[in-house]
Amino acid sequence: MASNIPGTQEAREVLKKHKIVIAGVGETEQGKIPDRSSFHFLSQASKLAIEDAGIKKTDVDGLVTAFSLVEHTFMHCTTFADYFGMKPKFFSSVAVGGATAVWMAAEAAMAIASGQAEVVLCVRGDNTLSGISSSGMLALIREMCHGEFEFPYGLTTPGGYALAAQRYLHDFGATREQLAAVAVTMRKHAALKENAMNKEPLTIEEVINSRVIAEPLTKYDCSIISDGGAAFIVTTEEKAKELGIENDLAYLLGMGQGYSHQYMTTLENLDQIYNAINTSGQKAFQTAGLTVDDVNLAYLYDCFTITVLLELEGLGFVPKGEGGSFALEGRMEIGKDLPVNTHGGLLSQAHLGAMHHVVEATLQIRGDAGPRQVKDADVALVHGNGGIVSAHSTILLGKEPLS
Amino acid sequence: MAEEKTYNKPLPDFRPETKPYWEGAKNHALVLPRSKETGKFFFYPRAMSPGDDMSEDLEWVKASGKGKVWTYAIHHMGPSKAYKGDPPYVVALIELEEGVKMMSNVVDVDPHDVFIGMDVEVVYDDVTEEVTLPKFKPVK
Repeated sequence: MASNIPGTQEAREVLKKHKIVIAGVGETEQGKIPDRSSFHFLSQASKLAIEDAGIKKTDVDGLVTAFSLVEHTFMHCTTFADYFGMKPKFFSSVAVGGATAVWMAAEAAMAIASGQAEVVLCVRGDNTLSGISSSGMLALIREMCHGEFEFPYGLTTPGGYALAAQRYLHDFGATREQLAAVAVTMRKHAALKENAMNKEPLTIEEVINSRVIAEPLTKYDCSIISDGGAAFIVTTEEKAKELGIENDLAYLLGMGQGYSHQYMTTLENLDQIYNAINTSGQKAFQTAGLTVDDVNLAYLYDCFTITVLLELEGLGFVPKGEGGSFALEGRMEIGKDLPVNTHGGLLSQAHLGAMHHVVEATLQIRGDAGPRQVKDADVALVHGNGGIVSAHSTILLGKEPLS
Repeated sequence: MAEEKTYNKPLPDFRPETKPYWEGAKNHALVLPRSKETGKFFFYPRAMSPGDDMSEDLEWVKASGKGKVWTYAIHHMGPSKAYKGDPPYVVALIELEEGVKMMSNVVDVDPHDVFIGMDVEVVYDDVTEEVTLPKFKPVK
């Protein structure tokens, strides 16, 4: 256990006092949906989350959005407020890549704790699959690497993660099968979720023999691209009661961030990544007064198979280098040691950053996850990663408030 | 008339402070920035030392051009159509003798013969009249 991180006890007091909760969630259809715009998805997801909470649109007084890869705007949150027809008292756009969705919950919590708003709609959506132009895709790839000292060498986004994967295999003697096992587990979970894109069974051999993208990674080591939207409503226990919200509430127990690097060029070694993941997790754990042993289910950012292993190890669920065997033994499956991404994740359900990770964690805590429901789902960890395992964010959600 | 070779892949988006690096490359020299205050090299080149010294008093030092492959990824798909016909190609992080890492391609080798720890040395690819990209090949 890491030594006491400054600020976590203060954070605990704040969360204890305000009892911040996720009180409603919504997700639109996910897939290839060519006839809907980015803001259309945001609007639909918002409506679904508001309806799930059983509140009125006018009860919402805060708005946190992210960014779009299709609709380019410098002021994403206020552009959406205009489209959706709301006048929020608090508004903010979070843009830290795959670390965004998790941090949207934290951003909403901080706004509520400082009196900026009481009911915050967090929403993200995009028509990435149908709407992105080839120049937009190139711009996205370029975002992940240095335009002057990396991009001219032809680095792609999967290539960036392949750099990390190759070094991981080298340092720990991990195997290709172990990486592939992550994709296989995600696929098994997606098969249990109605609103998932890829549900056909997948074997380790099929992952390894799929089209090579950037060695050592193949097609099924890479997440899917999709169209869709998702949203969640953050408020306090008190306000939820006042509004008559009937859902079971998912309490925010802790949150944290960790930063490693932006460009792979400046990465010293894998430990730098592990330390950033660990810092992010430990801030959340120490705020919550919990440890990895208290976590019943984990939502790990799975843009590529390698990230799940790095996060399992960095967060301290397993020792360094042992994430691969944990995956290969099927211990991330529902019903096993630590169910991971019970909805199928970015590898098989849909790709909207970690929005669906937050939504699914909330549904599990509520006991509303249907055939995917994990028994005794009391504490869920959600971890996001932006850039090439660069920027990290973690939240812990629980059935009971901090006491 | 000689066949005009057009280069359609992305070129570096130059910044004012990196001019010495690219001029060096054009003259087939790999030059690295170093803080005069701390004597520490850093990469990628920036206008200010990223160390605690925050110094803008920098010097450009010719590197040995030798290093080792720290990690690599064999690309079977390029980022755009301009790469058609190139794959498989190797994008690698090279740990230079000076202690910093840089991204580059490992060339003049079968991609599957590249390994972590491989000794490599700089070669210069004059991709346009104006731009030269330092790349690396195995030390024979």
